[in-house]
Amino acid sequence: MSFLTPAFFLGALALAIPVIIHLTNREKKEIVDFPSLMFLRRIPYRSVRRQRLRHLLLFALRCLALLLLILAFARPFLESTTAASALSLGPREVVFVLDHSYSMGYEDRLERAKDEIRRQIAMLSPDERASVVVFSDRAEISNQPTSDKDQLRAIVNGVTLSARTTRYGPALKLAKKIVDESSLTRKEVFLLTDFQRLGWEGDEDVWFPADTKFTTIDVGSPKSANLAVTGVILERKKTDRSKNASSSVSVRERLIATARVTYKAPDGDPPVETNIRLLLNGRSLQSKKLQLAPNSSTTVSFDPLTLPGGVSRGTVQLDADKLEIDNAYHFVLWPGQSLNVLSLDGNRGRSLYVDRALAIGERPSFRLESKRMSQLGAADLAGRHVVLLNDVASFGAARARLLERFVKEGGGLIIALGEASGRNSFTGDAARLLPAPLGGSTDRARDWGGTLSYLDYGSPVFEIFGAPHSGDFSAAKFFRYRTFEGPISSGILARYDDGAVALAEKTIGEGRVLVWTSTLDTFWNDLALQPVFLPFLHQLIKYAAGYAEVNAWHTVGEVADLEQFLAVAGEDTASDGERKVDLVVSSPSGTRTIIPPSEERALLSLSEQGFYEIRQAGSGSGTAVAMALASNLDLTESDLAKLDPEELVASVTFRDLSAAAPAAGETVADREGRQGFWWYLLVAAFIALAMETILSNRLSRARTVVSAVG
Amino acid sequence: MAETQERLGQFVDPHVLGRISNLKLLARSVVQGFISGLHRSTYLGRSVDFAEHRAYMPGDDIRQIDWRLFARTDRFYVKQFEADTNTSLTVLLDISRSMNFGSEGITKLDYARYLAASLAVFSQKQRDRIGLVTFDEDIVDFVPPSAKHLEIVLHTIDRVKSTKAGEYRKPLQKIAGAIQRRSIVVLISDLYDEPEAILDAVKGLRYKGNDLIVFHVLDPAELSFPYDGAANYRDLESGEAQPIIPEYLRDEYRKLVQEHISRLTHTLGDNKIDYVLMDTSTPLEYALFHFLSSRERMTRTR
Repeated sequence: MSFLTPAFFLGALALAIPVIIHLTNREKKEIVDFPSLMFLRRIPYRSVRRQRLRHLLLFALRCLALLLLILAFARPFLESTTAASALSLGPREVVFVLDHSYSMGYEDRLERAKDEIRRQIAMLSPDERASVVVFSDRAEISNQPTSDKDQLRAIVNGVTLSARTTRYGPALKLAKKIVDESSLTRKEVFLLTDFQRLGWEGDEDVWFPADTKFTTIDVGSPKSANLAVTGVILERKKTDRSKNASSSVSVRERLIATARVTYKAPDGDPPVETNIRLLLNGRSLQSKKLQLAPNSSTTVSFDPLTLPGGVSRGTVQLDADKLEIDNAYHFVLWPGQSLNVLSLDGNRGRSLYVDRALAIGERPSFRLESKRMSQLGAADLAGRHVVLLNDVASFGAARARLLERFVKEGGGLIIALGEASGRNSFTGDAARLLPAPLGGSTDRARDWGGTLSYLDYGSPVFEIFGAPHSGDFSAAKFFRYRTFEGPISSGILARYDDGAVALAEKTIGEGRVLVWTSTLDTFWNDLALQPVFLPFLHQLIKYAAGYAEVNAWHTVGEVADLEQFLAVAGEDTASDGERKVDLVVSSPSGTRTIIPPSEERALLSLSEQGFYEIRQAGSGSGTAVAMALASNLDLTESDLAKLDPEELVASVTFRDLSAAAPAAGETVADREGRQGFWWYLLVAAFIALAMETILSNRLSRARTVVSAVG
Repeated sequence: MAETQERLGQFVDPHVLGRISNLKLLARSVVQGFISGLHRSTYLGRSVDFAEHRAYMPGDDIRQIDWRLFARTDRFYVKQFEADTNTSLTVLLDISRSMNFGSEGITKLDYARYLAASLAVFSQKQRDRIGLVTFDEDIVDFVPPSAKHLEIVLHTIDRVKSTKAGEYRKPLQKIAGAIQRRSIVVLISDLYDEPEAILDAVKGLRYKGNDLIVFHVLDPAELSFPYDGAANYRDLESGEAQPIIPEYLRDEYRKLVQEHISRLTHTLGDNKIDYVLMDTSTPLEYALFHFLSSRERMTRTR
């Protein structure tokens, strides 16, 4: 039975009225004059309210009458029998939505969830069907709806813990899809999870129909305590000895690792003690003791250590707790990279500032070689990342083609213009290197020099200068610069205050050409004397070379570009940059993936925590691992704060308002019949009121008689 | 004169006066008067009570020189005596609406009028000056103290009507400013306010050196709350009504009233103010006799 207007139940508050009437007596219409109520008001009213009730029968009749009136106005009705039978009869379509995010590894949450599913599977009748949806931040349907209990059990048994985070939305959408498509009359969804709050955003836009029963099974603990390494900071410094060494082979680096540890636990729990270790290439090098209060974090700095040559795999690890998976943080240390730069100029001595600027820098370091343009040969470009034409007066067509091919194959070319290099320097094939034909030079000496007024902070060259106080280019004075004759539609990275182009970019093949229209010394400008010169030149060369620093770690769920690792490790021996052999990737769990050369880019989706090993097919398994990639967990999942299951249920289920509408085929008489109870309730209320009147009259009469006698 | 006699008959019962005729209403402290009377004066004058000797100053009456002392000491000394004088009696009569209550024939206001009139006549016989102030939320009538004002006082008492709610602070402070000489001040009221508030209202009178006597007039129903049956009880002062079941509240009410009386006794007593509870069921002459005799005893012992 339901009620059409349940709001009338608020009228039940009126039941207090008879109580008040009884306690304060019925005869309060009589007025007695009294000098002052000063003292009477001081007596708390409770002393009246706590008095016993008199005339209990009268009181009961009044309450009953009120209650009947409220019920009558609330309009009780019987729900449709056909709808009721549809809910209670027929085979079920069951969907088990099982969470296997890594927080389910806390104690035995996943096993308990699987046990519950097995129990539910055992209760399925032969004509009922079930399917399993396994989810973390992604969800997948493990099977088509089936009645085969063995198959269902096998699927459930095969579910393992993932290294991913929790998101309920995708899984619930899949479950809804299954129940929507089902032809069975009864539908039931079981959600088995630890109800992590971070997995629910509240606006997933999933609504299960009213005829679907949604059951939650919470396998989480009301109070969870969890230690986690939430981050590592790696500081690398070259040793003094290696700094003086001319060869990069003997470079040794010192590593200072700092780890951040967080302990989440209910307030009032005792502090936890644990050990934190630093492992390098599988060997434990340092260990420290820690004590953490609930809901606190700390940073632990390890002592500096010397890195071995080559690729090093490191791990910061805590002692095991109830959720062990987030107690380790992995990283891979690649040897410092070096960019090979060839500086070509007409007059020696013009590249002083460039030489000095490129002598500084560790990540990456720059290997600069200077030559005269006339000495350039094809062999000089082999292994070069960047060629710098520093105010070159002229170069022949052959050298121009050489440089063009170099750029097409991915090399970077920086052309710095000046006194020597004018419009006559770039003619014929050389003109193709420029974004537009060159014009004359502009002299700004009369107005005390021009300044740079526009910088494209979106480009990698100027990106690091974008933040406030990150570098002031306006202090530099430009007395002369070259201009382009033709229009440049795109690729302008900087302009002078008169609108002339200062830095332009042209892409040729896989490489790019950057044209700086003034000099890279103090001859035409004083930029070389400004603090921004060094980072500017570094950025310019890194951008020209297409340099990207290798991350020490990735996060599960990211896609890693293995080509980058190949380039850094020098494994790609082909001159044209094309890979000739398969790449074999071993996941932390030992699963092997082969990426053939036919794939345009070697991309790897990271789904596990730990170290991925990358080999080229043909290299023996006994050789040292040349390439490794560290994959860490998304640590948002380490916060085990709980979501109230009721909140989630309320968000995904709702009452279909059309349920109250008459069922198909129902007549008006049927509907009236189902809602006709109010009439009987009203009659009963009037009878109760009539009895109350009679009784109260008798009581008053009896009282009057007694008073008269008294 | 005939009218005065008529009013005397109306308010002053001969039994009352007869009962108290042997007593005196004496001022506790010294008072300022012009004619000799019962009360100690602030001035030295002629009486039988020797006060002190003082060295003779030119201009002193040579009749006051103590010749015996001159014979012994060969110096002139003047003898000084304490003077007795008359005083003023000012009656402050509360005529607020709550006074217009009586459960047994006589209202509190009537009882207070008898009491005021009796005190007026009694004082007149002592040759004291008589004054009257009636007040509710403000001063209603003010008859300044005078030996000739008995008739006006009685006339004012006769036409008293209670129409407004009462207040103490404002009218009593006004009266304190209006009374010039130290005198005996009698407050007749039902004292429906906090004892501290009442003290605050009368302390102006007390601090000016007046001898203050407070008559607390209550109806027996106010003391015992003998009502039966639930009803709406209306406050005569404010007109507000409240449903009350007396049988449930009686004990607590009595306790509160007794507590109020006890606090009044202590609060006023601590400030040297005489406090007298007058139950309107007690005959006036009895209550007045009781008070005057006890006061006389206390005055003698001081």
